[in-house]
Amino acid sequence: MSLTSVNLWETVKKQYFFKLKANIDAFSSLIGIQLLALLFSFGGVGSVGMGGGNFSINIKYYSADLVIGFTLIWAFVTAIVITTKPYRNHDFTFVTNRLSSSLSNILYLLTASIVGSITAILAGNLLKILAHILLDDQIYSFNTGLQELVMGIGVTILYVFFVTSIGYFIGTLVQESKLFIILIPVLFFGILFLEASMQKEPFLINVFKFYGMESTLFLFIIKVIVTVAVFFTAAISILNRMEVRR
Amino acid sequence: MRVIECTDLTKTYLRKNVLDKLSFSIEENKITGLIGRNGVGKTTLLKIIAGFIKETSGQVKVFSERPYNSLNVSINSIFVDDQMSFPPAIPLGEILTVAGNFYPNWDRELAKGLFDYFSFDPKSYHNRLSKGKTSTFNMIIGLASRCPLTIFDEPTTGMDAAVRKDFYRALLKDYIAYPRTIILSSHHLDEIEDLLEDVLLIKDGKKHFQMSISELKEWAIGLKGTTEEVLNFSDGKEILFKEYFGLNTMYAVVKNDFSEPLLNKAHLVGVEILPVQSSDLCVYLTSETKGGIDDVFNKR
Repeated sequence: MSLTSVNLWETVKKQYFFKLKANIDAFSSLIGIQLLALLFSFGGVGSVGMGGGNFSINIKYYSADLVIGFTLIWAFVTAIVITTKPYRNHDFTFVTNRLSSSLSNILYLLTASIVGSITAILAGNLLKILAHILLDDQIYSFNTGLQELVMGIGVTILYVFFVTSIGYFIGTLVQESKLFIILIPVLFFGILFLEASMQKEPFLINVFKFYGMESTLFLFIIKVIVTVAVFFTAAISILNRMEVRR
Repeated sequence: MRVIECTDLTKTYLRKNVLDKLSFSIEENKITGLIGRNGVGKTTLLKIIAGFIKETSGQVKVFSERPYNSLNVSINSIFVDDQMSFPPAIPLGEILTVAGNFYPNWDRELAKGLFDYFSFDPKSYHNRLSKGKTSTFNMIIGLASRCPLTIFDEPTTGMDAAVRKDFYRALLKDYIAYPRTIILSSHHLDEIEDLLEDVLLIKDGKKHFQMSISELKEWAIGLKGTTEEVLNFSDGKEILFKEYFGLNTMYAVVKNDFSEPLLNKAHLVGVEILPVQSSDLCVYLTSETKGGIDDVFNKR
């Protein structure tokens, strides 16, 4: 029987479509989580009240913030889940090597990030409409328009994809050694508390500022892309050495 | 052409050598039986060949490439066992389509035919199948993928006798139509010996021997007669297996290198010469201690 030779990208492409089909459950849980977040946001995500002698003003803010937050958690969990044994084993039932398996995972996570971000941002609009229909209050909308929408979605995609890369890396570490299940939370909270007790500005706050408070879009994009690349490359090089189905 | 070549292949788990300097090669388009007792490293060897796990030292070449992380080995080979895992979200019918997308030689009609013959429900899911049904389904994937190297690691786990028989027949028919290299590891040598061309016997992580099935059938003979005569004839030879019947009758299995006159002489003094089933022979050759389970009870 004659042998077939194959190139990497063809395999990655096949695996990517296979994964979209195989991990369809992740998208149904995304819908559930975003609906839940919508429900929680329905009372407004923040409110300001003031009053005088015979009047009072109550301002409520409706935004997709909570939906985006929930989406980030969903993305983190999804990324960890696909590094687990059963998911890696599915690949090895068919044609794969470790690199193509990871590359298709990354493409899948990127797709998940895009879908999650678009629905999250649109959920913000849905919230405003629902509030308008169901509540008798006056709705004022600002920061709207196509440009705002596109930028909002774009930045959200970057954040969600960023979180998936962290999740993928942590998931990989845990696959390498179960010790990391304890080690990572201990390090995370340990540093937080240690630095707080030493009256220092916590390191994690700086990290948060570095990524979260960047006001130049271009710099933000560069920062995220570089970090994402570092996390994924590290994960791939660890996974490349990992045996499956032993 | 040699499809698989192993030289000094060693695999260590927790400082224990599962495979110990194993060297062998497998020729193209042959059905080879991989035989050995439980835990001698059959599955480990097959998983190294499939590229699932890494060799600790030594060399392994499949289609002249190291299988670990090789896409070419992956597309040209398939590893079938009862642990094969499929995404729980994809129904059985669609798994066949997915497999067809991945494997270039996939035979859709064969897959569909076997699928219907064994009455699978296309809308059912893999994780809901019974043990025997799981093995049957995996076997369908293994056969229909028509990979130049097809590895079956105990494919008949949980199958009932009728399905096992069907499987062997399907395997043989498809092999004749589309010859390919097949490795079959099984505990039921008596069932598969008609399929096999070669046998590779592994003991303690080492190659014990590799020979054709016809050689194996004539490799040893059984002597049955009075204890005295049997011992007399097998003098100086390694007795692979012995069993006592009654007071003074003994059965011994020895390597068959008797000359014709000697066998005639044995016959004259009343020692029966019996052929040894190859499955029995493999059990004798790989047993840890001489004797059998009887000894455990006799010593008490």
